[in-house]
Amino acid sequence: MTDEEFFSRVRNDAAPLRYEPDPFALARIRAGVRERILRPTVPQLLARWFRPITATLAIIALAAGIGVATIDNNDNGSMGDASVEIVMAGDSYSVGQ
Amino acid sequence: MGSERELVERAQAGDTGAFDVLVSFYAKRVLSIAWGIVRSASDAEELAQEAFVKAYQSIGRFRLDEPFGPWIFRITTNLALDVLKHRKRVKHEEITEREPAPRRDRADLPAITNEIARRIGGAIDELPEMQRVVAQLHLIEEFEHREIAAMTGLSEGTVRSHLSLARGKLREKLADLYGDGDD
Repeated sequence: MTDEEFFSRVRNDAAPLRYEPDPFALARIRAGVRERILRPTVPQLLARWFRPITATLAIIALAAGIGVATIDNNDNGSMGDASVEIVMAGDSYSVGQ
Repeated sequence: MGSERELVERAQAGDTGAFDVLVSFYAKRVLSIAWGIVRSASDAEELAQEAFVKAYQSIGRFRLDEPFGPWIFRITTNLALDVLKHRKRVKHEEITEREPAPRRDRADLPAITNEIARRIGGAIDELPEMQRVVAQLHLIEEFEHREIAAMTGLSEGTVRSHLSLARGKLREKLADLYGDGDD
């Protein structure tokens, strides 16, 4: 028997050695793969956490900015309007401009 | 296969459903290759899963003009060979007052009703590691030399040489079944 014939006969006879998985193995593999490829990666996970935090901080910063600007405006406004005329010994002085 | 190319294209665009179809096409073969190398049902299952996840993660780099099968088989074989290497390292550390032969748990073997097949399986199991892997891929999984070379990263010449050595040993061990092997 030549080497080729030998291998060809062994191949035929070895056919039952092919692995037959249990009926649920393939379903388990599919489910496992699906679960793992849908699971978010670390950068995605971080992005998911940081996005709302960033948004909240941005809102706080905006509110603070608006608040400071309003206070500034009010302060400027009250100073501007609050010039006081003082008359002393016939001369008049203006304070607060 | 046109539809396979389409599925790969869709998977590259992030369609996990299309990738799931590819998994269902190849899972059985991938599992069989993995089991043939690592000889443990649970390791093979884990390995098959890992191979598909790895494939999905790098599917963007997959070339559409190539078939998907050899690619996933190559990933599987590489992972399985890594498992063997890892086992060898662990075995070195543990050390073995038990059986000297690296036989896996026989409970994992499928029910083999055919006595000849059982003898062949036993003889393949007793081959040195790479001869066993190559013989398993050639005789049981029916891959050609070129395919085995691509899957294992060995040269075709090395694959032929492993097979030739394996053939010699198998002929000797199975001489009562296939003649005395003197030609």
